[in-house]
Amino acid sequence: MGMNDKKLKEFRQRERRKKLNHWFQNLLLTFFVLLFGFPIYWIFIGAFKEGGEFFSYPPIFWVSHFKFDNFIRALSLGGSKGTLDSLIVACIGTVLVVILALFAGYGLGRFKFGGPNLSFFVLSLLFAPPIIAVLPLFFIFKYLRIIDTYLALIWSYLLINLPFAIWLIKGFIEDLPEEIESAALVDGYSRFGAFRKVTFPLIIPGVVVSALFVFVFAWNEFLFALMFTRSNVRTLPIVLSELIGGHGIQWGELSALSLIAIIPGVILVVFFQKYLVRGLTFGAVKG
Amino acid sequence: MKEISTNVLIGKNNFAKRITLPSIIILVLTVVGPLGFLLYASFFDWSLAVPIPPRFAWFLNFGLVFKDARFWNAFKNTSVLMITGIIAQSILGLIIAFLLNRKFRFKKLAITILALPIMVTPVVLGFNWRIIFHEHYGPLNYIIRLLGGAGSSWIADPKLALFSIFLVDTWQWTPFVTLILLAGLQSIPHQIYEATDVDGATGWQTFWRITLPLLRPMFVLVILFRIIWIFKIFDPVYILTGGGPGITTETLSLYTYISWVKYWKVGYTSALALVQLVIMTIIATIFVRKVMQRRRA
Repeated sequence: MGMNDKKLKEFRQRERRKKLNHWFQNLLLTFFVLLFGFPIYWIFIGAFKEGGEFFSYPPIFWVSHFKFDNFIRALSLGGSKGTLDSLIVACIGTVLVVILALFAGYGLGRFKFGGPNLSFFVLSLLFAPPIIAVLPLFFIFKYLRIIDTYLALIWSYLLINLPFAIWLIKGFIEDLPEEIESAALVDGYSRFGAFRKVTFPLIIPGVVVSALFVFVFAWNEFLFALMFTRSNVRTLPIVLSELIGGHGIQWGELSALSLIAIIPGVILVVFFQKYLVRGLTFGAVKG
Repeated sequence: MKEISTNVLIGKNNFAKRITLPSIIILVLTVVGPLGFLLYASFFDWSLAVPIPPRFAWFLNFGLVFKDARFWNAFKNTSVLMITGIIAQSILGLIIAFLLNRKFRFKKLAITILALPIMVTPVVLGFNWRIIFHEHYGPLNYIIRLLGGAGSSWIADPKLALFSIFLVDTWQWTPFVTLILLAGLQSIPHQIYEATDVDGATGWQTFWRITLPLLRPMFVLVILFRIIWIFKIFDPVYILTGGGPGITTETLSLYTYISWVKYWKVGYTSALALVQLVIMTIIATIFVRKVMQRRRA
């Protein structure tokens, strides 16, 4: 009898410890979530602060009014031009990259075209620091007289985005068994027909995810835009960096513009979380 | 039946070539042009800052790179960011991954908030952290003073500037490490833990003997990705410090940028770029051997 009591006591103790442990872990996790979420929150709240509210001590952690004055002023400070140009470059670039990558990814993934060496060439482009390309591309673009045009940005972004999209889509295609296409071929479909009718519908999620990643990369890109544009083309990161470097930084307007700038990235994280790891590791982790 | 399969076979290679080549041609042209230019320019004593025509100079530029104290400073800063960043982000990422790898309410919300920093526009996070680091009005110093500290000027302090960049990088990329390690933890079958429970292993024993070895491939992946990413770090540094104060936070990418945009050195910058390309190619080769090929096996 005493033996059983002792066991029961031990069991209860262990259960209590487990519960305590669980609560401690929840607390710790909450702390981390707040820590990592705080800078994002700071952009958000900053977008609604009035000029003077940035220069108060202690800092203001909450605003009671949600007025959109900062957004309106930010858009007239070059924000609308920046948003438009970023949209143009990112949209055209994305469409171009996705179409090219869809076919190249299919060729490399399904038919192993060019063998592992060609695939390695494509992958290796993702590892090269973009700064390497800046100087030679500048001379080439200058020779072609396309500095400060949309074409210069769209072209230079291909260098990063095309290998990325090819590699990601290649992975999605490799996930599909080859047999489903053989069946279509036996049924009399052409190669292209089999791709369009059988394979493509199955990899639509992968294509959408690739497109979104490519869009966000182009939208966020700074270095190439800094080097290859002057005054005709001004993407959002360029407008932002000039406002930051300018005299008398307008923090409220900058925060508002920042909030606009992070929208595509936030959409990617919130709605495509399932594919986030896969995209960021170029398909190495399926998540 | 036989006829069809022969047709299919003949069509296969042609089809593959036709759909793959457009992208490959674009990539090769876009890569070969710049690469050829770099190789060519790196052999010339060539600067746009002086009105002297380029002069063939053999390996002069490469010699200059390796003798340049500023190159080694940038190399050191990049390495420090890499090593400290990878250590801190691995440990922190592992802790958070463990905390997330349980059943609890709001799990998806927690992961979403944690993942947000990864996709934030780099220029935006640079600006945002400038406010957070602000000596007088920044929330960071406010909290430090609440806790009894004195606060500091962070990015303007030569002793803390590089540490500040490290903080920003760790803030942005720990979530990435967390997500990968979480994926690794979730792929460990539950039965393994149940078995060790029965065997009476303590929590620490299970962690060191079972969990960590099983996470090894994920760690390799994380480390290689962080090496590649930190090696190219440019935007946050440009916005936060511009390499300063002095050259205390100048990274390789930033120094390459400065030697071209500020000093107009064409030959030297080309050599600098090629040195980085060689380092990266070595790392990329390791990467492909270790990570990408294992996937195929």
